[in-house]
Amino acid sequence: MSGARNRPNCLALILIGLFFLPVLAVLGQAFGRPNAWPELLGFLRSGQFRRVLAFSTSQAFWSAFFSLALAVPGAYFFGRYRFPGKRLLRSVMILPFMLPGILVVLAMVVFYGQNGILNTWLAALFPGRDLVFTGLYGYKGIILAHVFYNFAFCLRMLGERWERISPKLEEASAVLGAGRFATWWRVILPLLAPTIGYLGVLVFLYSFLSFTVVLVLGGYLYQTFEVLIYIEYNNKLRFAQASMLAVVQIFLLTGIIALQRWTQRLVQRQSGEVNLLPPLRPRKQPVATGIFLCYLAGSLLFFFMPLFFVLYRSFKKRGLPDGAWTLDNYRQLFGAGFRFAVGRDLWTVVGTSLALAITVGLVTMVLAYVLARQRRQKPWGRIDLWLQLPMGISFLTFAFGLLKLVGHALPPALLIIWAQVFLAFPLVYALLRTARREWGEEMIEAAQCLGASGWELFRTVELPLMRKALSSAFAYGAALSLGDLSAVLVLGQGKVITLAVAVYRLIGHYNFPQAIALGTLFMLLAVVLFSLVEGGYRGKGTGGRWGE
Amino acid sequence: MKNEFLQIDVVKDYPEFRLTANLTVAEGEFFSLVGPSGCGKTTLLRLISGLIQPDRGRIILNGQDLTAVPVAERRIGFVFQDYALFPHLTVGENIEYGLKVRRLPATRRRERVDAMLAVFEITELAGRRVQELSGGERQRVALARALAPEPFLLLLDEPFAALDYGLRRRLRRELKELQRKLGFTAIFVTHQQEEALSLSERLAVMQAGQILQVGTATEVYSSPAHPFVATFLGDANLIPCVAVPTAEGLELHPQGGRVFNLSDTGGHMVQGGETDTTNAHFYMMIRPEDVVIDTVAPIYQGTIVTWEYLGYASYAEVKTDHGPTLKILTGKETHFALGARVGLSFREPALKLLPINQK
Repeated sequence: MSGARNRPNCLALILIGLFFLPVLAVLGQAFGRPNAWPELLGFLRSGQFRRVLAFSTSQAFWSAFFSLALAVPGAYFFGRYRFPGKRLLRSVMILPFMLPGILVVLAMVVFYGQNGILNTWLAALFPGRDLVFTGLYGYKGIILAHVFYNFAFCLRMLGERWERISPKLEEASAVLGAGRFATWWRVILPLLAPTIGYLGVLVFLYSFLSFTVVLVLGGYLYQTFEVLIYIEYNNKLRFAQASMLAVVQIFLLTGIIALQRWTQRLVQRQSGEVNLLPPLRPRKQPVATGIFLCYLAGSLLFFFMPLFFVLYRSFKKRGLPDGAWTLDNYRQLFGAGFRFAVGRDLWTVVGTSLALAITVGLVTMVLAYVLARQRRQKPWGRIDLWLQLPMGISFLTFAFGLLKLVGHALPPALLIIWAQVFLAFPLVYALLRTARREWGEEMIEAAQCLGASGWELFRTVELPLMRKALSSAFAYGAALSLGDLSAVLVLGQGKVITLAVAVYRLIGHYNFPQAIALGTLFMLLAVVLFSLVEGGYRGKGTGGRWGE
Repeated sequence: MKNEFLQIDVVKDYPEFRLTANLTVAEGEFFSLVGPSGCGKTTLLRLISGLIQPDRGRIILNGQDLTAVPVAERRIGFVFQDYALFPHLTVGENIEYGLKVRRLPATRRRERVDAMLAVFEITELAGRRVQELSGGERQRVALARALAPEPFLLLLDEPFAALDYGLRRRLRRELKELQRKLGFTAIFVTHQQEEALSLSERLAVMQAGQILQVGTATEVYSSPAHPFVATFLGDANLIPCVAVPTAEGLELHPQGGRVFNLSDTGGHMVQGGETDTTNAHFYMMIRPEDVVIDTVAPIYQGTIVTWEYLGYASYAEVKTDHGPTLKILTGKETHFALGARVGLSFREPALKLLPINQK
């Protein structure tokens, strides 16, 4: 209502510009040279393209399929019953999703690797039978890691949707003569379908873009486009070829993103109150309780044990499961071996990571909030949509374009911050914009009428109201920066070593004891950030209820 | 108006409509703005508070031109429809907020907060979080918070809208008493006619960004200046008619009804553009309670098509033979039968003639 209705938003335009220039640089490099088109066509006809496309698509499909198939039974219990510890379980579920990719890989190796915990257990349970899981470095391992990443998140989202489907609908269906299967098929499933579709596309997208997992577990046999771009750039130093691959990936992603937007709109159209759920009673429902407990035990075993064993083995001699208890692994982090493998000493690595994470978290939060505040009374419009586009661009593509554009003019750390801020921006902005609009203007107006203005108004009303959303936004940006490997690898040019790079290098040097010890420290850091995010989520989820 | 405490003369343009308002409110007065949703009454309130700026015109409060004064310095209290209590503060802190940002010393603040808590009988709620309060309690806290900094003027934007009927009536009475006791000037926005009539000394009826009529509750109810005012405040029959001046007064030709004479024109004509009443077209406005059953010399004859027993009265709709369907309200002892034939005439003193050309 300030009369600035149609004035273009300068900040938004600058942000969009800063984001699209690198992308344009990638496009320019790919096409701004002779033979660009013949090369592109040649690549599209090549066996390599078909192989990478087939692998990326099929592994992404199966990752999405298994994540959801495993999540549905659990979502039923979360969506239909109350039970002690539900809230805690639910918040823990988002943890794997927030973990840096390299930590997921480490946890997988620790648990499912050749000398991992799983094989130790198999040997102990079936002596002499020679049951060994050897598939980690390959197709199965990649899918396992992706499911590990996404399963719990799917379970949580699906369970939350299920809670909003009124149990009365099932009663109505039963009264109208439908059996349990008919009710599930004709009532529940259609209501869940948009969420299932949305999550499926989301997991597909993440797996399609997977970098760290495939880089470490895929070897030379299995590559996503993201990994292929990196190899072209890093190992073969063929920049133009890498740009062309990035362009191919952008086009492939456009389709997936369109699908993702469509399913997202379907989900947003649905609503419904959270229903009061009956408790799960072990006495009256022994079978259901039994199944649920087995399910929980199974998921904890397969998805949380790996994380636990990172911690466990970090205190074992040489990181071996049956080694003696020791702090050696941690002591060695300060030693020459660490510096040799990583290239920096421990404190530099931790300091660099934290400095980057805090900077990225703060910058993203402030930019996103300023914009969300400016646009608080506008409906979701075209500018917002443009600002969401970085979600459809991979880290590597963006990093690559940035390098091409200003790589020689700016120090690597600044490039990394630029890249990470823009890739964190869409989610942080969406989060803050929603949160800012949720309070409406009335609180601010009430404070103004009572005599508050300017900085005081911001400090006494706006900031307290937004505190949880802001801390959540900060944590998200910081977590993304902390977990990022690809942008740091490309833009850091070997000069910027973060925790993720350090763990990657330690794994590369087969220095597992130290990788596990460093990974444990890394995980603690991630957990701290994660709890900040969770704190924010809870405030939002209860729709304005405070003080819980 | 002997006391022009608040003078408003503003225009605010929106793509879809224009708000024009010209009003004066006296000191200590309880004034209502009433109209259907979207008529601009909340916008007018926000203009007065300074939350939005007028495109043209001025707002003068107590001799001071407020038009350029920022919201925070106007000292105008505002009670929002959803109360807008700060969720991060307790009840006491909410009430204290306005005093704190005005830099009152702590002891003065505490005195004032305690006084407000006592006035609104919510002392025991002082330490509570606002989301633990019931609707009625929130309402009290919102009022206490708005009044704590001793504003020159209190604006209330449908403050009872979220409450149930019984509670609304009780709080309405309390608000009225409080206003008398503390003597503050209040402007109250509502879309409920009953609330407006019972609360206010004077009220303004608004429609589509225009103020149609300003007056006391009885004036506006019994002599509406506009067909919309007649139907918005209470139920009304509007019968098109032609009025022909005669020696004794007026000869009225209601549509489809018997011609009759109105003895004295003085109290019946409501202001309007028509000075020449020769064969002029009017709306004859008659409230349902002023329609009487008449078997001797009825103006209309008709058939009862709807009948409702309301307990305290009976309500019926009569399809007249050649004219419009009329609404009537009679004593509870009257019993109608659907399809029965009745004759109707009007209590003449209650009959008003409204200019028809105002739409």
